[in-house]
Amino acid sequence: MNNRLKVLRAERNWSQADLADQLGVSRQTVNALETGRYDPSLPLAFRIAKVFGQPIESIFTED
Amino acid sequence: MNGGVKPKRPLGLAGFAATIGVTMLVGGLAGAGSALFGEQPGAVGLAITVAMISAAMAVGFAACIWWWRGIDEAAREAHKWAWWWGGSGGLAVGGVLLLTVMIRADTQPLPAGVGSSPADIFISGMMAVVLFQLAGYALAWAGWWLKHR
Repeated sequence: MNNRLKVLRAERNWSQADLADQLGVSRQTVNALETGRYDPSLPLAFRIAKVFGQPIESIFTED
Repeated sequence: MNGGVKPKRPLGLAGFAATIGVTMLVGGLAGAGSALFGEQPGAVGLAITVAMISAAMAVGFAACIWWWRGIDEAAREAHKWAWWWGGSGGLAVGGVLLLTVMIRADTQPLPAGVGSSPADIFISGMMAVVLFQLAGYALAWAGWWLKHR
C-alpha cells in the first residue's frame, strides 16, 4: 500500500515525533508507516485521516 | 494540529524495563519466600511453594498485560511475528538438539551441567527449549524492526 504521510507531515512542518504524539504511536512506527513497510490497522488509519483532516482514500492508495 | 484529546504516548524502553524489573523482583521475593517458608515437610510446605510460585506468575502475567496494552500496534505486530516465527524456529532447533541427546543417551554421556536426577534433567531440558525459543524470538524481533524501519 502507498501513502502520502510524509508529504502531508512535511506540509505541516511536523516532525515524525510530533505526528507520533498525535497518533499515540512510537516514532519508529511513524517511520515504518511512511516508508510503506508497515500497513496500519483500520483504527489507526482512521486516526491518521482525522489528524490530517482528509479521507482515508486520499492518504492511502493501493500499489 | 488536531484539537482532539491527545492520545497516550506508547510505552518505550522504560516501560519494558519496568515490566522486567517488577517481574524479576516479584520472582525473587517468591523464590526467597519459598526458600524460607516452603521447606516444611508435607502438604504445608508444598502448598506454600505452589502459592508463592503462582503469585509470582500472576504478578508477572499482570505486568505483561499492562505492558502489552501500553505499546502501539506495530510493536505488538513485531512481538507477535517474533513469537510465532522466532519462537517456533527456536523450538525446532531446540527440539532437534534435545531429541538427538535423548536418542543417543544410552551411548553418549549427557552434557555437563544437565544434572543427574530425573527432575534436574527434566528442568534442564525445559529451560534449554525456553532459551532456544527466546534466542529465536530476539533474533526475529530485531529482524522485524530492521525490515520495517
